[in-house]
Amino acid sequence: MDAVKCDDVWMIYRSLFSKKVALKGVNLRIPKGEIFGLLGPNGAGKTTLVSIMATLLRQTRGKVEVLGMDSVRDAKEIRKRINIASGNPNLIWSLTVYENLRYYAMLYGIRDRRIVEDLIRDFELEEFRKVEFNKLSTGNKQKLILARAFINDPELVFLDEPTKGLDPPIARRLREKIVAMQRDRGTTVVLTTHYMSEAEMLCKKIAFINHGEIVAEGTKEDLKKMLKMRDKITIEIDAEIPEQKFQSFEGVFMVEKDGNSYTFYVDSVEKRLWDIAKEVANHGRIKNVVVREIDLEDVFNELAK
Amino acid sequence: MSLRSEVYKTLGFTYRNFIITKRNFFTIFETLFWPVIGLISVGLMGVYLELNEERFAFILIGAVTLSVLQVSQLDVAYVLLFDIWSKSVRYTFATPISAWNMILGAWFFGIFRGLIAFSILFIAGEALFRVNILIPIPWLLLFLLGVFLSAMIIGVITCSLLLIFGYRAEIFAWTLSAIFMLICGIYYPVSMLPEPMRAFSYAIPLTHFLEFYRSFYGFETSFENPLLIGYLISLLALVVLVALYLWAFERARRRGTITQFSE
Repeated sequence: MDAVKCDDVWMIYRSLFSKKVALKGVNLRIPKGEIFGLLGPNGAGKTTLVSIMATLLRQTRGKVEVLGMDSVRDAKEIRKRINIASGNPNLIWSLTVYENLRYYAMLYGIRDRRIVEDLIRDFELEEFRKVEFNKLSTGNKQKLILARAFINDPELVFLDEPTKGLDPPIARRLREKIVAMQRDRGTTVVLTTHYMSEAEMLCKKIAFINHGEIVAEGTKEDLKKMLKMRDKITIEIDAEIPEQKFQSFEGVFMVEKDGNSYTFYVDSVEKRLWDIAKEVANHGRIKNVVVREIDLEDVFNELAK
Repeated sequence: MSLRSEVYKTLGFTYRNFIITKRNFFTIFETLFWPVIGLISVGLMGVYLELNEERFAFILIGAVTLSVLQVSQLDVAYVLLFDIWSKSVRYTFATPISAWNMILGAWFFGIFRGLIAFSILFIAGEALFRVNILIPIPWLLLFLLGVFLSAMIIGVITCSLLLIFGYRAEIFAWTLSAIFMLICGIYYPVSMLPEPMRAFSYAIPLTHFLEFYRSFYGFETSFENPLLIGYLISLLALVVLVALYLWAFERARRRGTITQFSE
């Protein structure tokens, strides 16, 4: 069963003098019990789509089903069973860690204070329990935002760029927390992120959104296969080569130049490496060659064009 | 829907407003400083004008009511403003709360603050100006409940305007009560107002609650049962205004105002 089903979802922001189309007929299925990635460049429509699924926004057209319920008609019922955390860590400033969690627990009708205590422990916030939100470090604020997102033991959680702007070690700890919470509780997680490595590490399935449309969807392998290019060859040379030299080369889809380093996106390294290296060697002395499979970042860059 | 769960959700807002008030010097100032300053300045004016006891009571009732109303209506408006200022609106609206949970929860704390303000002003009026504005307790409580209902009305209007117009509307949290005061005859009888304004003043429940209180000091009322009329208008207004609030919320959901508040 799907946790979320979006059918022909449109979102048009209207004001007195302007109109902005944020989503253009989005169709999407998010399976239950997985971490699902929603990727896309800035302004692609990720946050709008997540906000619609979390019932904070109402789509202009189309149908959204969350946990089998209609997002417009059953919004309140849905809210009992979902939660959300955003990369802009903002909770009530003058409430402490404990008070913020207790307050939100109350809004979910939860009386059991052990739930608050467990989350404080699970997210390693014990020593900050009496610290006001505005006095916490960004990392601890984000931990608290994530802890809050699990307060009602939700079946579905939307994490909108949860590690944005965090130091790598803290971001890594939070990713581990997300995985642990998802694994222990069987929660479906919808994750939007700018960090491809994060999506690659956490998500089983991924959808790419750009200009308000889902442009690709599937597992990481599916997405890589969607693009004909499979490998990239980076060659460092002590001379300049005209880029157009390689445009007619069979199996070369793209060439990127960075100083005297050239990256060739090809269909198969086995088939193309020899010809490319031979041509490059005609222009100068090869200093270094690196060969690797394309990653999600490359897929993202290609789809974001 | 369990009643216990709904009560808990409602008390969540009471809890939050209580903690924020406790920590915020500004909100403590609102409860204590301005009401006392208002009472003293109006009281001194009464002394200067050599008002008799009834007229002195008339204006002191106005000053006390103004302060109680302002303090308690702010709490209802704060239910949304605290979230707007903290940019946490999306987290509150992502929870399974209803408009009533928000409004009632904040209102309960508004009543608490309003009662503190009333008690201080009552004691100050007696101590500084020897004017006793105490009426039989059951009637006093009914009057105060009327004022608190008026506070809820103003607070709900402010919240609705915030959802419709965004940040720009926060000014209404401090100005709406002043506009109400002008029309409902806070320091003068509404019979003094020009005709169209007077007709409008009768549609405001606070006009009737004030007339009810002042009737204990021998002042005439515009209608025979001002308390009942005040309550009926209040309840009608609340039904209409909560509907307005729900409409404003749905409009905010369609237009993206809720997510904009959190950015």
